[in-house]
Amino acid sequence: MAELTSNAPTAASGSRSRRLALPAGLALAGLALMLVAPEVLPTYLVNTLIRAFLYAAVAITVDILWGFTGILTFGQSAFFGFGAYAAALVFTHAGFGPGLALIAFGIAIVGAILLALLVGWFAFHPGASPLYGSVITLVLPIVVSQLLYSGGNFTGSSSGLSGFESFDLSLEAWFRIAGVFLIATTAGAWLFLRSDAGRILEAIRDNEQRCEYLGINVSRVKILLMMACGAIASCAGFLFACVQMVVAPEYAGFAFGTELLMWVALGGRGTLIGPLIGTLLLDTSTSYLSGSLPFLWKLLSGLAFVVVIVALPQGLLPALASVVRRAWRRDAPASAAPAAEVELQSADPRPLVGLASAGRLALSVEDVHKRFGSLQVLRGIDFAVRPNELLSLIGPNGAGKTTLMRCIADGAERSSGTVRLNDHDIRRSSPAACVALGAGRKFQNANVFDSLTVAQSMRVARTRLERPSLWRRDHALALPTAALEVMRATGLDRQLHVASRDLSHGMKQALELAMVLALEPSVLLLDEPTAGLTKAERTLIGRILLDLTHSHTLCVLLVEHDLDFVQEISTRIIVLHQGQIVLDGSVEEVVNSDLVREVYAGASAPGAHG
Amino acid sequence: MTLVLDMLTTAAILYGVAAGLLIVFGVMKIINFAHGAFLTVGGYAALLVTHLGWNPWWSLPVAFAIGAVCGAVVERLVMKPLYKRPLDAILATWGLAIVIGQCITLVFDRGVQFVQSPLTGAVDFLGTSYSSYRLLVIPLSLAVIALLGWMMNGSRLGLVTRAVIMNEDLARALGIHTGLVRLATFSLGAGLAGLAGALITPLSSVDPNMGVPWLVNAFMIVMVSGVSLVSLGIACLVLGSAQVLVSTWANPILGGLTIVVLAAVILRVRPEGFARG
Repeated sequence: MAELTSNAPTAASGSRSRRLALPAGLALAGLALMLVAPEVLPTYLVNTLIRAFLYAAVAITVDILWGFTGILTFGQSAFFGFGAYAAALVFTHAGFGPGLALIAFGIAIVGAILLALLVGWFAFHPGASPLYGSVITLVLPIVVSQLLYSGGNFTGSSSGLSGFESFDLSLEAWFRIAGVFLIATTAGAWLFLRSDAGRILEAIRDNEQRCEYLGINVSRVKILLMMACGAIASCAGFLFACVQMVVAPEYAGFAFGTELLMWVALGGRGTLIGPLIGTLLLDTSTSYLSGSLPFLWKLLSGLAFVVVIVALPQGLLPALASVVRRAWRRDAPASAAPAAEVELQSADPRPLVGLASAGRLALSVEDVHKRFGSLQVLRGIDFAVRPNELLSLIGPNGAGKTTLMRCIADGAERSSGTVRLNDHDIRRSSPAACVALGAGRKFQNANVFDSLTVAQSMRVARTRLERPSLWRRDHALALPTAALEVMRATGLDRQLHVASRDLSHGMKQALELAMVLALEPSVLLLDEPTAGLTKAERTLIGRILLDLTHSHTLCVLLVEHDLDFVQEISTRIIVLHQGQIVLDGSVEEVVNSDLVREVYAGASAPGAHG
Repeated sequence: MTLVLDMLTTAAILYGVAAGLLIVFGVMKIINFAHGAFLTVGGYAALLVTHLGWNPWWSLPVAFAIGAVCGAVVERLVMKPLYKRPLDAILATWGLAIVIGQCITLVFDRGVQFVQSPLTGAVDFLGTSYSSYRLLVIPLSLAVIALLGWMMNGSRLGLVTRAVIMNEDLARALGIHTGLVRLATFSLGAGLAGLAGALITPLSSVDPNMGVPWLVNAFMIVMVSGVSLVSLGIACLVLGSAQVLVSTWANPILGGLTIVVLAAVILRVRPEGFARG
């Protein structure tokens, strides 16, 4: 492995331990507080706080799903209710004992995971819209709570279950258990969210499509996340039932689900400490104030919620923090936050999928048709590409060039016909599965992750080939030579810590190209990679593309409008017109044909019938 | 026969409730979770008419007007910054629903109250005795369909609205005041919710949370019907009938779940729902 930029390792580890010091100190302080607090606080407050701790743990799962991953969920209450009822039902109907408690806990966790699997299968199937996902999380608590209402004596119907036996522990002990549970949940979430795997969640929130085309199975990530969050919420519900010894259908209901969302929104979605503090403060003050001002308190909190969503979408705590920070900066300019060091390395070359021997086809397209209703966009497209070819697709607007690219990179797109990547039929595979077969697609408009930095984006692009750690940040970033070349040629390697949204248009294009190359594709699909670029940038990218096809076993399929550019770098050209191939030949053959001039002049070409 | 009439009237009621939500969703691509609260407002408008001793028929126009005014105020104050953030709009309108619900509780108290029906008694219909008010809901809903259909397809307002649905930027470039179209649409949607609220209260009762179950059902129906008034009709008939059948033959609680579960499954299998796809 060759080091390209080097950092003193001691400095890196030093700043890392400094970054860990504050959260670790907070966690320790929290644990110490758990020891002391129940001895000094009044009983009512201790009781209220136990409940608030458990709610806060659930709020953190809502925050992970909504604030960090962008899945608006109304349904975490259902998992909470599930865990609570698992305990209550077992203790009521089978009695209480250590073995039975263990069984009840097993039911709570396994059941919640299965429930999350079912919900995920509905909510996150490939092609589901975010709105549909939210609709399903809305249906979940309604169904669960209505089933509890209709359960008769078994579930206790609307009055719920109470009076069952539970662990014989003091209030102080429960306070510590709930507190440690909350601290453990928060610490675990914190480690996970700042790890390399945590960046994938942000990437999904920013740009799901790009993730899918980087070979990340978005549906699976979301379902796994839902399962983990469901299990944590169910665990909180289980503890709740054990402490309170009363459960009711409301705890699984839609109203509680939206209340969780309110706490997270008010505290600050996308931060961990915000929802934590928000839940603790709001739930405690609710239990104190709802007695004296029952309706007014709810009215005011509803009003605050609307105002925050409309005017301060990031929440109260982050807004407060930025005010404080600004006041602080005015006095003494704080030193720039130390960015996490990242070391670029070149990855070990790995054999490309199915491209071991020369002479095989990289891509073959057989009789592909695409219809939108009665509109025929592609008819009977047939061609094959060998490795080391740079094939350009040209043709007037509406000829079907981009549609053809889509049909190659997503198995669900074409209406009929066969597409093979490296001799594998892509069938109806998702874009992520097509990436696994060797496809890498760059979109027409720069398609990047706005809030991730260059280094983070490249790391996410490597997810398929290098499983990221679930709990730590790797400080070495290994990339294939081709991606490194693009980054060096365009200067991206000097902007590793710049957020993608702050890059210039040309740099975004280069970043997307580098991300696609980091997939180590064998069939590179480029849709107008130079659109909107300056002449200089365009020449640069052209040179890189030429170099790629010559020195790597890679075939490039390029859609371009600029005939001069195409002429300069292609080894072969296909002309599309009205959804059909009208010419397929070498650069000289195509450029010098009368047909191309006619097509480009807009006249209809012979051989292309409407 | 009673069963068939139950199905038809249920579908008609659902149509009345869902129409306003559909219009707002179609034009603004926004789910208005305050729809249930506007419905409640309509119910209390009917209660007010009863208290004032006016002819119960007045409750319909009064409810529509109050709903529309509430809608217009909400659009200006809350919705305007949220058009670019549709998922946040769901949350903000839900918060709004809580606020409206609490205001109603503060003014009218939280108890269940009853409204005078404009039409009482039963009529003989094809040999079956059936509540005349429930029957009346069918022609009223048909009238709403006809009126909305005419507004969308036959009037200049409808033409402008459809232009905004299809391509808002282009519509604005052509000199259409899209902000005004949004205001009119949202306020029409809220007015329809109020009307529906006044329409259903004589069948049950009013309380500050009466809108919530209706909201959820209407929301699911709008999800499966896309943005067309015709497919909304089909969705109401199919899902409404299913609800009546399950309530009759299984139990009412499961019946209450029918629409929600069926709609979720339909969307999973066929994402475009009842819309022509």
